[in-house]
Amino acid sequence: MSDETRLTELRQKFGRQPAAPDETTGAEPTPREAQPRFRGLESGHRACQGCGEALAARLVMECAGPDVMVANATGCLEVFTTAWPESAWRVPWAHSLFENAAAVASGMEAAMKARGRNTKVLAFGGDGGTYDIGFQALSGMLERYHNVLYVCYDNEAYMNTGIQRSSSTPHAATTTTSPAGRERMGKRHLKKDLLSIIAAHHIPYAASASVAFPQDLQRKVRYAMGIDGPTFLVVHSPCPLGWRHESRLTINVARRAVECGLFPLVELERGSLTNVMPIRDQRPVTDYLQLQGRFAHLFGDDPRAQQKRDHLQALADYNVQVYGLTGAGPDPADTGGAAAVGRSGVAAGRR
Amino acid sequence: MTVLTRGAYGLPGTSLAYKTGNWRSTERPVHVHAKAPCHAACPAGEDQQAWFAKLQEGRAEEAWQVLVAANPLPGVTGRVCPHPCQNACNRKTMDGALAIHNVERWLGDEAIAQGWTHPVAEPAPDAPVVAIVGAGPAGLSAAYHALRHGLRAALYETAPEAGGLLRSAIPRTRLPRHLLDAEIGRLLSLPGIEITYRARLGRDVSVEELASDHAAVCLAPGCQQGRAWDVAGALPSDHHEGLALLREFMDHGQFPPASRIVVHGGGNTAVDLCRLMKRSGVQQVTLITASGLPGPQTAPDDVLNVVPRELDEALEEGIEIVPHATVNRLIMRGSKVIGAEVASLRKERGADGRTRRVTFEGTERVIDVDMVIPCIGELVDPEGLEPLVDRGYLRPGDTWGRLQDNLYALGDARGDRGTVAEAVGDGRRAAEAIAARLAGAEPEADDRGELTAEGLNPVYYEGAPRSTAPKLAVQQRGFDTEIEGDIGRAAALAEAQRCLSCGNCLACDNCWTFCPDNAVIKTVELATDGSHYLFDLDYCKGCGLCADECPTGYIQMQPERGP
Repeated sequence: MSDETRLTELRQKFGRQPAAPDETTGAEPTPREAQPRFRGLESGHRACQGCGEALAARLVMECAGPDVMVANATGCLEVFTTAWPESAWRVPWAHSLFENAAAVASGMEAAMKARGRNTKVLAFGGDGGTYDIGFQALSGMLERYHNVLYVCYDNEAYMNTGIQRSSSTPHAATTTTSPAGRERMGKRHLKKDLLSIIAAHHIPYAASASVAFPQDLQRKVRYAMGIDGPTFLVVHSPCPLGWRHESRLTINVARRAVECGLFPLVELERGSLTNVMPIRDQRPVTDYLQLQGRFAHLFGDDPRAQQKRDHLQALADYNVQVYGLTGAGPDPADTGGAAAVGRSGVAAGRR
Repeated sequence: MTVLTRGAYGLPGTSLAYKTGNWRSTERPVHVHAKAPCHAACPAGEDQQAWFAKLQEGRAEEAWQVLVAANPLPGVTGRVCPHPCQNACNRKTMDGALAIHNVERWLGDEAIAQGWTHPVAEPAPDAPVVAIVGAGPAGLSAAYHALRHGLRAALYETAPEAGGLLRSAIPRTRLPRHLLDAEIGRLLSLPGIEITYRARLGRDVSVEELASDHAAVCLAPGCQQGRAWDVAGALPSDHHEGLALLREFMDHGQFPPASRIVVHGGGNTAVDLCRLMKRSGVQQVTLITASGLPGPQTAPDDVLNVVPRELDEALEEGIEIVPHATVNRLIMRGSKVIGAEVASLRKERGADGRTRRVTFEGTERVIDVDMVIPCIGELVDPEGLEPLVDRGYLRPGDTWGRLQDNLYALGDARGDRGTVAEAVGDGRRAAEAIAARLAGAEPEADDRGELTAEGLNPVYYEGAPRSTAPKLAVQQRGFDTEIEGDIGRAAALAEAQRCLSCGNCLACDNCWTFCPDNAVIKTVELATDGSHYLFDLDYCKGCGLCADECPTGYIQMQPERGP
């Protein structure tokens, strides 16, 4: 099949994007077309069952779009959304190299500026493309003060290439390059405190979010979208395959990471801490660890297991203390209140 | 002209051509409207979850209409029911069960105050007529539900007023008469219900006559005859049986004089009698019961069958309760009783698997009394029902109350009932069975599963303390003023917000928000209930996330059908 035939076929099947919001095709919209939200990332993508990253990207697109364009670093997100000749994206989207999403986004932003457009540019990368490989490009983009929102989907290892450790992999997690065994109990080093490094660039806004708290995540995206200048968001996105938990547990795992203190949800403006999501009842880290196969060795007979669990608990307690995550009683904005739902979604913290 | 190179270009949204639904291998999400435990436990068949959902939206009248679709007497049951719904409420595992009975009562009272009317149409003039003997809660409910099924109802009541036991045996401190009159009056004024007072079975009407003149006959005569009680053959000359004493008091406002009494029995009648007599000046009131007091040590089927709050109030008022005991012997001086010999007793399972009451030798003690009142239950008065009564009751063979083809037994007369709510439920089921039979069909039981607390996701519910109703202090309790007060509109609506909506959609959007594959489609932008979400199985990969994150258990993963 030639490219032209295939393209024509796809055009006939899906039509063309309306050129303007008031342009209609005349046909009755299908229920999918009539969704009361912007569908920036459509179905049919090849993410694994229960993928936290697919969910996070969709949540970001929902409130960032439609007037955006995306530079996407190599990684799971790029691979599973764009199996040629199909694309799950419904916004202009460019695939960059693994290491230069921020640089490509800088160029796109400069081009938009040159053409007198305010289309916001987003840069997407995984933790490998952000914490490690693309770090210098990211630092440069922040330093040059481009009007770009950089979103890092943090699933704490190189999942696309087969679960290799990254500098974001938490301490003691097993990966294919930090296997737990006789010599070591998983990764020897600590998770890099990227947010502090980003904040040290003195940018207007840097924050962490989690797929378990979608309203909080979307509020942060909207806030960042309104800022003219570099902004950064790191989204904790569980990977059922790499973290070895059941696909149905993605949200539960992400929630527990926040509730135990290992993944604090914080906001920094110009390098200063401006907001945190308080933890209503801090969970022991074991509640979080025991759901995941990557920490299974911490629950065996090995005498080092207890020490590692205590170490992770100490790291969580450190976060709670440093960021002041202990709330003063129940609060609609804390981990308990932010999750609350009610009939038709009207509860504290709901949209 | 666009030059396409391999991998350079893909049109927006075209991944829709790739149906990831074929990745599902074992399970798919489905919407399952399981019974909420309150609904499953309700003997009257109310769906509390459904009417709480209306209240959550602030629609009190609609909530009341949903409520009265099952139970036409919510003001009554809200006051007198031992509320098995509340005991079953899944919220009890979190921060306390909902105060369901208080809200039900508030809705019932609000309906009276606002003059809300039953949404029941008048049946056709030639509609089949159901004859109903007895206008107590079972009979009234049967008449009302007959109407809802398009039938007419003809009630026959011995007394000059309707209400049965509600009027004759429940103290005003629990059930004010003006409320009872209002609810019964509203029901009896519905077009299609005829009632004949002072019509005694066996004297004025007979079952055979009724059966030949009507489409069906419902027998709801209640239990009017005290069970024979004597202790080793001795009966004092001034012997009084509990229910008769209570009825007499309700009519005349007086008890025979006594200063120390023992009441023997273990139901609401016994406790009501104890409390009224204590208030009327009896110094020492002791309740001897074969059952146990509620507590972790007591098996559920061994607990005293009394409305829990009534039991608490009785203890507050200084009623002494001796659980797991029986009256062995009366100590007489001439024909007057001066003491009761009490012994410990337990219901024990014998070798044949049947439960027996075993009295333990050596536990006998004597209580000084001047009156012993048995409250050990009543039997059906057999007058006019002779061939149907079997060992004291009518004993129908099934839950619909069928005795014979067109003959149904409801309420206390069945022998396996004991609450107003059960009687109301019997009336509803009998009417349903009659309507089905007239249509040439079988009535269908609702055999949906029940949603237990494990099926909920508790993280999505914000904690909220339970509302409480005001209560009269012990010194202020008399014979007329109601002891438990009204919860009030604000508290009732706040309490409704605590409902977890077990097994039914809350429209909270969690599934729609959390699906990583966009496979949950919303068909209505704003909704408050029901399922307006669709699963797009073309794209659903079967991860099970929606089912896990559904707060109410409305989404469940079920095996894929077929190969």
